[in-house]
Amino acid sequence: MEALKNAFDFSDFPRTDLIIAALAALFLLTFPAFPHSSFAMATMIQFLMFSLYGMGWNTIGGYGGQVDLGKAQYVGIGAFTTSVMLIRWNVPFWVSMPIGMFFAVIWSFIIGYPLFRLKGHYFAIATIATSLVLKDIFEVWDFVGAARGLEISPIKFKPPDFLHLIFREDIYYYYVILGFFFLGIMYVNWFRRSRLGFQLRSIKDNEDIARSLGINVHWAKIKTYAIATAFVSLVGSFHACYIKNIEPEDTMSLDISILIALMAMLGGAGSLWGPIIGASILIPLKSYLKEWLGAQAGLVGIDLIIYGAIIMLVSAVEPRGIWGIVEKVRRRKRR
Amino acid sequence: MGHCGEGPQEEKKIMALLEVHGLHKDFGGLKANEDISFSLDDGELMGLIGPNGAGKTTLFNCIAGLHPVTAGQIIFSGYDITKFNAHEVARLGLARTFQVYAASGDLTVLENVMVGCFMRTRSRSRAKSRAERILKDFKLYNFSDYLLSELTVAAQKRVTMATAVGTDPKMLLLDEVAGGLNPNEIEAIMATIRHIHHDLEITVMLIEHVMELVMNISDRVIVLDSGRKIAEGDPNTVARDTNVIKAYLGERYVREHAAELT
Repeated sequence: MEALKNAFDFSDFPRTDLIIAALAALFLLTFPAFPHSSFAMATMIQFLMFSLYGMGWNTIGGYGGQVDLGKAQYVGIGAFTTSVMLIRWNVPFWVSMPIGMFFAVIWSFIIGYPLFRLKGHYFAIATIATSLVLKDIFEVWDFVGAARGLEISPIKFKPPDFLHLIFREDIYYYYVILGFFFLGIMYVNWFRRSRLGFQLRSIKDNEDIARSLGINVHWAKIKTYAIATAFVSLVGSFHACYIKNIEPEDTMSLDISILIALMAMLGGAGSLWGPIIGASILIPLKSYLKEWLGAQAGLVGIDLIIYGAIIMLVSAVEPRGIWGIVEKVRRRKRR
Repeated sequence: MGHCGEGPQEEKKIMALLEVHGLHKDFGGLKANEDISFSLDDGELMGLIGPNGAGKTTLFNCIAGLHPVTAGQIIFSGYDITKFNAHEVARLGLARTFQVYAASGDLTVLENVMVGCFMRTRSRSRAKSRAERILKDFKLYNFSDYLLSELTVAAQKRVTMATAVGTDPKMLLLDEVAGGLNPNEIEAIMATIRHIHHDLEITVMLIEHVMELVMNISDRVIVLDSGRKIAEGDPNTVARDTNVIKAYLGERYVREHAAELT
């Protein structure tokens, strides 16, 4: 009960934040009512998806300070579990999604256990490696469609099919992912002030001190990594139903992993609003860079260059991202 | 009441809270601790002194489970903790502070103390109310919302002590809590240590270079030099021990001032 109460407790934010948040929520709820292009709708769905990815990443990467650049492997596990189960056995999304989460969490324990013996850059590189290895396995594994990937053909279903999450219009997908988005915020709002959340922040501060305060550092990291994984896998499952055509090369690429980390890093790692702020900047930028500059102006790969520049900028100027700057200014005003 | 504590004799017998037997710690070829043995009774306040590099912090790290020991045995409140991890030692009720507090600036004073309190409870409201009580007790309540980096060194040291007390320990290892403080601040820290020891009834062992502090408040003092225990006893005896003076001031001083020292 206390957990539920804490999830709805935003009282430690100043009123201006809450007003802005309420206005943003109102906008998100009513956005489909405004005239909009299908491109704008697709961008909004991407924004919500990547906010959720970022929120998941933020638990271990932001609050825990463990920079993880291998989240794409869990996107893949979620997406492929849902696709395979839907195509082969007609399993509803609401069943395959938790099963995908379960597989992803099991996998996160298997690789998390050895990986969290590493620290800092070594940990980051190891996450990249495991993600790429899993992608390579999926690319030669016939059961999951190998390199061709899997295609969900909507012909078998009668949209709108809420059970299997097969729709013709994007507006349905929009409201489903918006629901997850609000749940995600509630969850992280609870997490950041839970015992585990405090333990993670203490670990980020200084691991030896965390240990001396009775925190099992290794286990706390593994647990939080599993939480982050569950978030990412859920959105991966959604992604499979939304895109309907997934390939390991797309879904599990390094770009996705980096982009997920970037949401929180730019917006503010270790803050509730950070990943959302990051996604609201990066997703429109990504659409612009990839679809316009990349495809039309022929500057293929420009998006990756820009992301790299952002990473450097953030780590040089303010490692806690945009939200870190906001908090610094506020602190200075108060004193 | 069962069979424990029967008769007045049973009750009078005080068991040592911490026992260290023949502790060795090597770092490669360097012998940081060599054959150190001592014991500490429940309710004692013990000082651990020695010149720089004597192995005091290493000894703390071994006791607290941060370093695996090379040889020897450590027993805390009846448990053999020699092979315990740091977090297991902490959960048994042996807390410690660190010399340097690396403040990344992420946690406020209140949140820092809450991390300690969370060791004994899952509930945020309980951790918070306990942390607030401790902060009031340590006269830090007005700094609740400050980041550690915004405080003076003296206040930072008091926060680290409050955080450790948050874990509700039986015993507290304090690593140079008075280092780098001015005389007034040392006075205040001394009062805090007395409060922890006397009012909160926590057994204390402290590493300290500030002699007026350690000699003033310790029941007993252990002296380390080059990884070995060279003296043990009440502060006055230890201060007049030739080996201790040699360790601090060198052999020549002892030879030249032989007349005054006796």
